[in-house]
Amino acid sequence: MAGIRARRREPHCDGGIHVSAISRKQLRGWVKGYLFILPSIIGFSVFVAYPLVSSVYYALTEWGGYDRPRFVGFDNFKYIFTVDPAFWPSVRATFLYVLMSVPSSLALGLLLAVLLNKNLPGIKWFRTVYYLPTVVPSVATLMLWMFIYEPQYGLANTLLRMAGLPEGTWLTSEKTALPSIVLVGLWQVGSGMIIFLSGLQSVPQDLYEAAEVDGAGRWRTFFRITVPMITPILLLQLILGVIGAFQAFNQVQVLTGGGPNFSTSLLNFKIYNDAFNSKMFGYAISEVWILFVITMIFTALTYLYSNRFVYYESDNSK
Amino acid sequence: MAGRTALRTGRRKAKFSAWDAARFAVLCIGAAAMLFPLLWMITIALKSDTEVFSIPPEWIPKELHWSNFVTGTKQIHFWRTFANSLIIAVLCTIGQVLSSVLVGYGLARLHFPGRKLWFSLFVGSLMLPGFVGLIPLFHLYTGLGWYDSWLPIIVPAFFGNATFSFLFVQYLKTISVSFDEAAKIDGASDLYVLAKVLAPMAMPIIVTMMIFSFQGSWNQYLEPLVYIVSPEKWTLALGMASFRGTYATAWNLFMAADLIYIAPMLLLYFFGQKFFMQGLGSVNSAAIK
Repeated sequence: MAGIRARRREPHCDGGIHVSAISRKQLRGWVKGYLFILPSIIGFSVFVAYPLVSSVYYALTEWGGYDRPRFVGFDNFKYIFTVDPAFWPSVRATFLYVLMSVPSSLALGLLLAVLLNKNLPGIKWFRTVYYLPTVVPSVATLMLWMFIYEPQYGLANTLLRMAGLPEGTWLTSEKTALPSIVLVGLWQVGSGMIIFLSGLQSVPQDLYEAAEVDGAGRWRTFFRITVPMITPILLLQLILGVIGAFQAFNQVQVLTGGGPNFSTSLLNFKIYNDAFNSKMFGYAISEVWILFVITMIFTALTYLYSNRFVYYESDNSK
Repeated sequence: MAGRTALRTGRRKAKFSAWDAARFAVLCIGAAAMLFPLLWMITIALKSDTEVFSIPPEWIPKELHWSNFVTGTKQIHFWRTFANSLIIAVLCTIGQVLSSVLVGYGLARLHFPGRKLWFSLFVGSLMLPGFVGLIPLFHLYTGLGWYDSWLPIIVPAFFGNATFSFLFVQYLKTISVSFDEAAKIDGASDLYVLAKVLAPMAMPIIVTMMIFSFQGSWNQYLEPLVYIVSPEKWTLALGMASFRGTYATAWNLFMAADLIYIAPMLLLYFFGQKFFMQGLGSVNSAAIK
């Protein structure tokens, strides 16, 4: 009762001062909040929003980077889709790369995580070794593999020869160049493995105990308990993997330069070449938009399709 | 039936079951495949110029040519390039960690309108592929006269890293607000609370951020390739890639130099292994939430 009276009285007497005092304090709090996140607001505006918005215009221009962009409408896109002899091979190579590298590294990462999950003698040592290749810098890794794939003295063909097998063509043939690049990525499967491993270890132990009591076998337990429980991580890794694979660049730049015969000319590499070697900035930005839209569509489809299989713990309580 | 028995003994850790033995064998083969390229690299780095190309190959060099590590590092002004990489990596690490900690604190602990919106914008920008910004930003930096300098690489580091801010926000959620409140009753400012109360408690995640930031900068290739032209400003990633054309025949020298390029990462990994695992583990917790 007293509270109600006090609240009613407020607007009449000292309420005005009181309210403005609160809001001034509140306002100071808001300003403080914005000051703390200011670096990221600037970062977001300058490094994300500005390039995104300005590239909508640049995509419609002919622009060499140093001159003034000249508006040409959809000419760039017309040329890309109908004339450019390197575009469709690049799209093909990019899709092949995504379809080969993403599922294989997910599957191998998960397999290794399962093998490394339960205790074994030397398990820590094994985890260390499997993660080790991922700490090797990208360029160091790629240069190392360039020598491994060298036809005559490289490690790959030396081992094949010793095993009495025919030599591989690796990076030198249209058919094997792209799979060889995917293989280098599989050497660095450790980062995915660690993420799956921590996912496996957060699966509640009592679920396994219940499965054992019910007499479920190893495979059943894996597919009915382990896999559903880690689907959120699988989905996140799948989506990040897809976005990352569409951006692959270093592998091609260091190892093949897009060849032989465009078989490894991934779109991101073509964009780099068109912009910084051919000085066709407007054209390259049009290609950026095509790659961006492809990536988004692919990601959305992956999400929509896979999300049906994802098990969210909170759904369970309904 | 056999599977069930194996599972049970596996749990008790009493016996080494058939399943465990199979796992062990597969893991051994896999580990050999993982290590072999690196071991091969070390043997090449220690071989003489001619021994590199002997057929059949000598797996273990007859005599160890440690001098390759000296000759190899003379090829690309290695140590100056090494120093360049180190300076850039240290500055980027400082910038990213400082700014991300500030932003993370603001997002996790302060209340202001639009907080959720900014948080989702920052996290959402993680999904945006990096190539979208490259060309307009190149135009921006050349306009500022930053072409052929380290500025396009270092300056952006001071404007927050969405992944790190996100990790810090997640970590702060596990620390009770009562710590902040206690300090604030004693008259502490937000910066004081962050620096003296929360940061010491959040040290594990801060160290993780430092390691990943340093590693990211040490590995970075595309941005230096686009912005840095003069060889005396190169980073090691550029320097090592330049071995491709020029010194293609001197494998032993290249491998020796490459090993020194890798060494800081290996040291970081062996001494900070816990933090590597922790950082990647928190990606997993982020997926569930």
